Amino acid sequence: MSIAFPLHRLYLLALPACLGVLGLTGCSKKEVEAVRDNTAEVEAFYKAHADFFTFAKPADLPANLEWKDGHEVPEFAAPEAKRGGTLQGFIDDFPRTFRFVGPDSNGSFRPYILDYDFLYLIMKQPNTGQYFPGVAKTWALGADGRTMYFRLDPDARYSDGVPITADDYLFIFFFYRSSYINDPWYNNYYTENFTNITKYDDRTISVTWKEAKPDIYDRPAELVPVPRHFYKELGPDYAQRYQWRLEPTTGPYTVLPEDIHKGSSIDITHVKHWWAEDKPFYRHRYNFDRIHLEVIRDQDKAMEAFKRGDIDMVPLTLSRSWYEKLPDSDPRVQAGYIHKAVYYNEIPRPPYGLYINASRPLLNNRDIREGINYASNFQLVIDQYFRGDYQRLETTADGYAEVPFPGIKARPFSVEKAQEAFTRAGFTKRGPDGVLVNDKGQRLSFTVTSAYSNLKDVLSILKEEALKAGLEFNIEVLDNTTGWKKIQEKQHDIAFTAFSYSVEMYPRYWETFHSVNANKPQTNNICNLVDPEVDELITRYDKSTSMDEIRTLSTQIETKIRYDAVFVPGFAIPFIRTGYWRWVKWPKDFSVRLWESGTEMQIEYGLAWLDEDAKKETLNARAAGKTFPPSIEVYDKWKRKD
Amino acid sequence: MAFPRFRLNPQTQRRFARFRRIRRGYVSFIILSFLALLTAFGELLVNSRALVVRYHGNYYFPTYGAFHPGTDFGEDYSYEANYRHLKQRLGAQGGGDWVLLPPVPFNSYENDFRQGVYPPTAPSAAERHFLGTDTTGRDILARLFYGFRIALIFSAFYIGFVYGLGITVGCAMGFFGGAVDLLGQRIVEIWSNLPFLYIVIIVASLVRPDLTLLVVITGLFSWTGMTYYMRTATYREKARDYVAAAEVLGASTSRIIFRHILPNTLSMLVTFVPFTLAAAISSLTALDFLGFGLPTPTPSWGELLRQGTANLDAPWIVSSVFFSIVFVLSLVTFVGEAVREAFDPKKFTTYE
Repeated sequence: MSIAFPLHRLYLLALPACLGVLGLTGCSKKEVEAVRDNTAEVEAFYKAHADFFTFAKPADLPANLEWKDGHEVPEFAAPEAKRGGTLQGFIDDFPRTFRFVGPDSNGSFRPYILDYDFLYLIMKQPNTGQYFPGVAKTWALGADGRTMYFRLDPDARYSDGVPITADDYLFIFFFYRSSYINDPWYNNYYTENFTNITKYDDRTISVTWKEAKPDIYDRPAELVPVPRHFYKELGPDYAQRYQWRLEPTTGPYTVLPEDIHKGSSIDITHVKHWWAEDKPFYRHRYNFDRIHLEVIRDQDKAMEAFKRGDIDMVPLTLSRSWYEKLPDSDPRVQAGYIHKAVYYNEIPRPPYGLYINASRPLLNNRDIREGINYASNFQLVIDQYFRGDYQRLETTADGYAEVPFPGIKARPFSVEKAQEAFTRAGFTKRGPDGVLVNDKGQRLSFTVTSAYSNLKDVLSILKEEALKAGLEFNIEVLDNTTGWKKIQEKQHDIAFTAFSYSVEMYPRYWETFHSVNANKPQTNNICNLVDPEVDELITRYDKSTSMDEIRTLSTQIETKIRYDAVFVPGFAIPFIRTGYWRWVKWPKDFSVRLWESGTEMQIEYGLAWLDEDAKKETLNARAAGKTFPPSIEVYDKWKRKD
Repeated sequence: MAFPRFRLNPQTQRRFARFRRIRRGYVSFIILSFLALLTAFGELLVNSRALVVRYHGNYYFPTYGAFHPGTDFGEDYSYEANYRHLKQRLGAQGGGDWVLLPPVPFNSYENDFRQGVYPPTAPSAAERHFLGTDTTGRDILARLFYGFRIALIFSAFYIGFVYGLGITVGCAMGFFGGAVDLLGQRIVEIWSNLPFLYIVIIVASLVRPDLTLLVVITGLFSWTGMTYYMRTATYREKARDYVAAAEVLGASTSRIIFRHILPNTLSMLVTFVPFTLAAAISSLTALDFLGFGLPTPTPSWGELLRQGTANLDAPWIVSSVFFSIVFVLSLVTFVGEAVREAFDPKKFTTYE
């Protein structure tokens, strides 16, 4: 009879996935329109936007520019690094496309071919925050504070050998503003934030941003050259035409067509005679000749492959991986074959915590919000669930090296203080279930919405602890998209979530705490905070052009947000943990302050290298049962000092 | 007439007698009933609240009713008293005060964190975690126990819902026949082809499912099977002479259905119940396992199973829940087989 749970219907779930795959291969095989040439179209676009695209002569360059070349900046790679060898790695899914923009382009393979494999105009020294040459050999900041001038390195070449010229930078603005890429975010971004690009000659350009901000030197990171010769065929069929064509790169690694084994593996190969290979800041980096990425969809399977020695390194940041899947007592670790390392980095932390919707009844009372702050026992979660490894988040913007908030602390868990606050709000009696009630008979009960099903244990611990203070949390864990939508539509009481921030010099507040974004759907002020004082501070903060002022103002903003008690700071993961076989070698300091990657750690900054002799030695030792001293290192140079 | 409406006819009585003689099924039935009865008084067996507290000459019975803040027993906090702690304190103090705890002194929600030990912790009689703790330090036996109770409550509502709907529709199709039957069957066919799992996933991702909602969703996609059996049974009974006789005597439609047809299909329905129960328990477990079931942190077997398979290095999680499922579902199946055998029409029905 058909009352039994219809497991056979699971097939239905798998079906659309197959259809999707069929659809993709269908597209790539489809006869695409014969070779196009959009040169005329591009020229016309430049002419139509003559105020944006300026064609000038070298003589037009301002005379008093102070050109910099970053010669004073320290290098950070290990001089003893050896080139060569194939690193065995893994990837959790085969890329669905090689495009960087458009549908499906945001997969886990993208960092290998874009984020960690491209030279920007200038690059940031990941320990000191200074800048060193990228594609630009020298650079200068204009008198207006928002125009930067760049002289491109004459040696700079794409992986296909074509030199990188000023035209590739002009073309950025054609490419990202084009409707062909079908990506409104890029369209808008490259229209709104820039006011001009000027070509002085083939190797000299200037770019003007809309505003002069203190982090102007970080901005050239937005300018990855778009190879004009490669996109000659750019047109309405971009998504299909470029689906499996890899853009030539400015960086050290590329993918050769013969190394693509759809669905099973992909190899990344070092560019032959890479143009920056022997230049300062690039020598001794990107040491692997090849990186073989096997598709392993299951984390536990990848771990088993690693333990066998089929994979050379794995991330171990999660407590479960570090303590249970590969404990220090593992025979391979104890025998010194596999090394473990903890590296404390310093990057803007995703602010995990409770975002209280201040426009809800009861939650619009500051006393109640303050009580919720005191009643949320994140410290217990950190100490017991995360085994004391994670740190308490103290503000909405921890981890900005340039903008610390030493005096601002999150409220500690305290039943007494929480109850004092709830009493001020009129919640004095406890009901039969221990939840506080007020004179009107309202219970102190709120729903906590989250889209993180993997963190629901955190919520169930918070719930049990909050009950001690007479506060009830009802936990609502929704599917990722729905949960985030509900939160953005401001339909939640309290949201447990975090924002992901890229590495920037100072935090952003306008999006998350300015009242223009409150009580409106699809904005990031998910606390619905309306505080004229905060508004005023944020307005001044956004106009600010000096770091001192930015520090002062952001401290004031954080102090005020803490007073408003709309955000309960949760936890931050202050490190990256990794396990690697003995033959993978790392620099003396292991990595760099701004190290942020997970599985892509093999390519980000390219600091590690392979020691073939050590590999032979280790494998022989393993066969013979010989051991080495175990190595479990902690690198806490950048650890927060409490 | 003085007879009660649904008095079992002698044939059915004989069937129950035969069921009692099938030992395996009957014993299973007794064990299952005993377990169900245990869970009804679960608060007395598995609970963080004490059974009896004697404090300063007064007796307290905290199990049922409002909570006692710690201050009631001289503790320095206003939240619910920690009776395990209280027992230790009063025991150490001596004097006439004491605490009597249930055999398993944990509820299914509290996180029993200990200094220097990280959950999940292995079974330990000394700690009174007889089956160990899960990944957030909750007692596994308590979660299994209350998970089973919730599964039983779910099954009861589920069976009521599925049979109510299935019998009504099936009986209507069989009794009225013709266009009602034709149309009804087409609707049932279409309905039973809706992808159940999709709908559950969509609903569960849009709203936080609770027990009622889960009963309704799972029930809505499970009642169709019942209609086929009811339809056939009704057709068969309707053609019998006694129905014709009742009709001739001027009995109303509802009287014929409720007094004559339904009681005569009862024996068939009873044979399905154990299997529906097994289906209900496994459906709920499967949904919880996939993460589309009852809201966090409700105790549930599926959630434990999921934790267990993700933490195979803590084998006490997966093994406790695995053996519980196997044990309960075997009992239910034994009962079902025995009922089916006892009610086998080949043994008792004579056709004219």
